[in-house]
Amino acid sequence: MKKLNPILARMSKMPKAALITIGLFVALGTFAPWLAPQDPSTQNLLEAGLGPNAAHWLGTDHLGRDTFSRLIIAANTSLVSVGSVLGIAMTIGIAMGTIAGYHRGWVDDLLMRVVDVGLSIPSLIIALAVIGIVGPGYWTMVLALALAWWPMSGRISRAVAVSIMSKPHIEALRVLGASPWRIYFNHLLPGTIGAVMVYATADAGVAALAVATLSFLGLGIQPPTPEWGQMLVDALPYLESDPRQVLLPGLALTAAVIGFNTLGESIALNRIPKPLTRRMLAARRIEVAGWAKEGIDAQ
Amino acid sequence: MTHAPVLKVENLQTRFKSVQRGKYVHAVDDVSIELYPGEIVGLVGESGCGKSTLGRTIVGLEKASSGRVLLDGVDLSALSGAALRDSRRALQYVFQDPYSCLNDRQTVGEAIDEALIIDGTKSPDERNRRTRELLDQVGLAYAVKDRHTRELSGGQRQRVAIARSLAVNPRVLICDEPVSALDLSIRAQVMNLFLRLQKDLSVACLFIAHDLALVRQAASRVYVMYLGRIVEQGPSQELYDHPSHPYSQMLLASVPEVDPRVEKLRSGPLLMGEVPSPTNPPSGCRFRTRCPLAVDDCARRTPPSHGLAPDHNAACVFAPDLHGGKRSALVHQPA
Repeated sequence: MKKLNPILARMSKMPKAALITIGLFVALGTFAPWLAPQDPSTQNLLEAGLGPNAAHWLGTDHLGRDTFSRLIIAANTSLVSVGSVLGIAMTIGIAMGTIAGYHRGWVDDLLMRVVDVGLSIPSLIIALAVIGIVGPGYWTMVLALALAWWPMSGRISRAVAVSIMSKPHIEALRVLGASPWRIYFNHLLPGTIGAVMVYATADAGVAALAVATLSFLGLGIQPPTPEWGQMLVDALPYLESDPRQVLLPGLALTAAVIGFNTLGESIALNRIPKPLTRRMLAARRIEVAGWAKEGIDAQ
Repeated sequence: MTHAPVLKVENLQTRFKSVQRGKYVHAVDDVSIELYPGEIVGLVGESGCGKSTLGRTIVGLEKASSGRVLLDGVDLSALSGAALRDSRRALQYVFQDPYSCLNDRQTVGEAIDEALIIDGTKSPDERNRRTRELLDQVGLAYAVKDRHTRELSGGQRQRVAIARSLAVNPRVLICDEPVSALDLSIRAQVMNLFLRLQKDLSVACLFIAHDLALVRQAASRVYVMYLGRIVEQGPSQELYDHPSHPYSQMLLASVPEVDPRVEKLRSGPLLMGEVPSPTNPPSGCRFRTRCPLAVDDCARRTPPSHGLAPDHNAACVFAPDLHGGKRSALVHQPA
């Protein structure tokens, strides 16, 4: 924690809050099975609809399942599905985008028209269509959302790839006689991935919302796997008698979405300091001064 | 010049599709130049006259629409793929902007190492030895190799870029205003470095510049380019003393004098207006729209190249008069 302090100290409130929220979300999601105090699926109808108490910190739902545990396990579900959606979508998008950006010409035109078509259809509608054809299910949802998502990352990667390809350092490699293979894998791809990852952070919130939406509609993650959207729909009948059951998953989802959006924006605007940059630069600047052996040229 | 040229460019033409449909930008039009081993040749002209495009076309960064580039007598346009990459490697390019021509993600060592790998140096020990040697040649300490290029100053980056170009043992170095992005104190150092390397390694060097004083100091021969064509060429002493194309005269006269008293005495029409659009270049002599000496004949045909002195040619109908001092573009005379 001490090492984090100098980084946190230099950030303003919003990015800091977002970083902490997302950090918490990722940590909870990753270690959910070990963190959840109780089995999220164990039903106990005798304890159904209880408010917060010593045994159940955030109460229980209408089937007597521990809400706190379900919220934590849902973070894991959400993290895995959002991660897979973005992972698949970005792999396709980056591949398409970099190929288009590398080749330009008709390859570029063809791939980007495909992307245009993909972008012109709202992503949720594509996902609904795919699920409608294949039938609801966890992996169907992930694939459907990935299919809906890749055009955006394709468009962004293409823009990034075009800008990298037009940089003189790529031209310098061409002049050196580097093979297309080397230019693509050693220079274009790493550069594009780095830049596109930034956009992915901002996109993660929207993807989390989409996963929750589909699950809310019963088209995504199926019971009994806990998921925020699905917890919402389960609690809907008790909205008036026990709003806690709706509010808790709602708040968790809202925090994750806003957290991702704010974090993405902060990274894009360079508000997250890169660790150690300043100290390293200061230490090196002194050394840099001694590098050039200017005397040689003063012949 | 008894020996064969290392680089021979024959009737090179580079056209770009214009934004106007069906029209072309004639960036480089019918240019022939020669470079002999170990000489520095200057290429001067205004911004937008096509000198950078000429350099980029020679190294293959732009596609030539016609003409040939011969390197050691080998026609590069006849090659393709890996064979072309391997042959063209002897032709290196030094970029104007030392900030963007290196990959920020690489360290100095990686950048030079990569050039050595591309050149086919397999053994890591050999590459290390060469890296040390190259850094030493450009006046940088070996310790720099572990630094990221983004941590270096402009002058240091340009040295690294030069070291990387030299890593593949080039015969010809095309330098596109290599020092114009550097500040004056660094400029002199890098210029001296160039001269020293060129002498030590006897690399032929095409030096593209708009700084006429720099070219005069460095180059043995000079080509003057205007709107995609070479209008005058000659040994630099001869050309600077007897500029024989109106454009060369005006270009040389437009260099400001340091002494304000001399500056006041500078007379004659200096270059006014802008270079005409290379999409619709003027017919005949391309300089006629800005030339104080232009006559009707200039519009009708491209002026032939007049040989004036050994190796000194100018493409102007009045070239012999201009060379002999009987006429000058700087004092307006109705023809």
